[in-house]
Amino acid sequence: MNRNVQYMLLGLGAAWLIMFIYVVLITLRERKLRKELDRVRRMVEK
Amino acid sequence: MREKIIIGLAVFAGALLAWNMNTIFTQLPDELNQGAIYRIIYFHVPANILGMTGFGLGMLLSIGYLVTKDLRYDALAASVTEVSLVFASIGLATGSIWARIIWGVWWAWDYRLTSWLVCWLIFGGYLMLRRAIDEPNQRARFAAVVSILGSVNAYISYKSIEWWTTQHPQPVLSIRNGGGMAAGMEAPIWWNVLALACFSAILVMVRMRQEAVANEIDTLRRMAHAQ
Repeated sequence: MNRNVQYMLLGLGAAWLIMFIYVVLITLRERKLRKELDRVRRMVEK
Repeated sequence: MREKIIIGLAVFAGALLAWNMNTIFTQLPDELNQGAIYRIIYFHVPANILGMTGFGLGMLLSIGYLVTKDLRYDALAASVTEVSLVFASIGLATGSIWARIIWGVWWAWDYRLTSWLVCWLIFGGYLMLRRAIDEPNQRARFAAVVSILGSVNAYISYKSIEWWTTQHPQPVLSIRNGGGMAAGMEAPIWWNVLALACFSAILVMVRMRQEAVANEIDTLRRMAHAQ
């Protein structure tokens, strides 16, 4: 495989990797927020 | 309802992207001078279009907040700006990889690249600023000012390839009177813009939901402290 094709695949890989990392980060943030919401709700109920 | 819209958009965007990738990789020929690497343009340009329009939209929403003092505008501006920064990052990364082959260097300090990097840093700072301020109205006011400044810079970056001589290529898309691409080669760029815009809308909807949950947490905390 020539260098030109390797760098094209590297570019596409980088684009998808950045998107994937962001999706993972907002998924983790979603979980953290849900846990925090449950915790604060329990605190208010007490 | 929101879940159904998200699923519908994801299915549509996924199918469109798969069809378009097939066109890009199996039907389009290599470019005469650049070879296979030119295909990066199908992600680089749509990502930067979404980044720039997102920053502009964020600025309009920020102005909406400054005029109305309605925090919903601020929440939407923050969501749109964050997602746009992801697309701007993709634009920078893919552009740099393309430059390594075509220019022989990863980076050149020309007007377009430098102004776009400055723009990326400003909006990175925008997100950091939001984390640093707890009071919602103060946070929204400061963030709105940064968003406006950043968007002015984004516009300068957009026009830089027309205003100055740059290492970065001059406009190639027909809507900017570039006309540097064959019609068959340009169309997949716009299909990718549409597909990535759908993904972008999904991410903004998810972020908006998170902003709503964060606001609910703030309200409950205040209630708990007031008791």
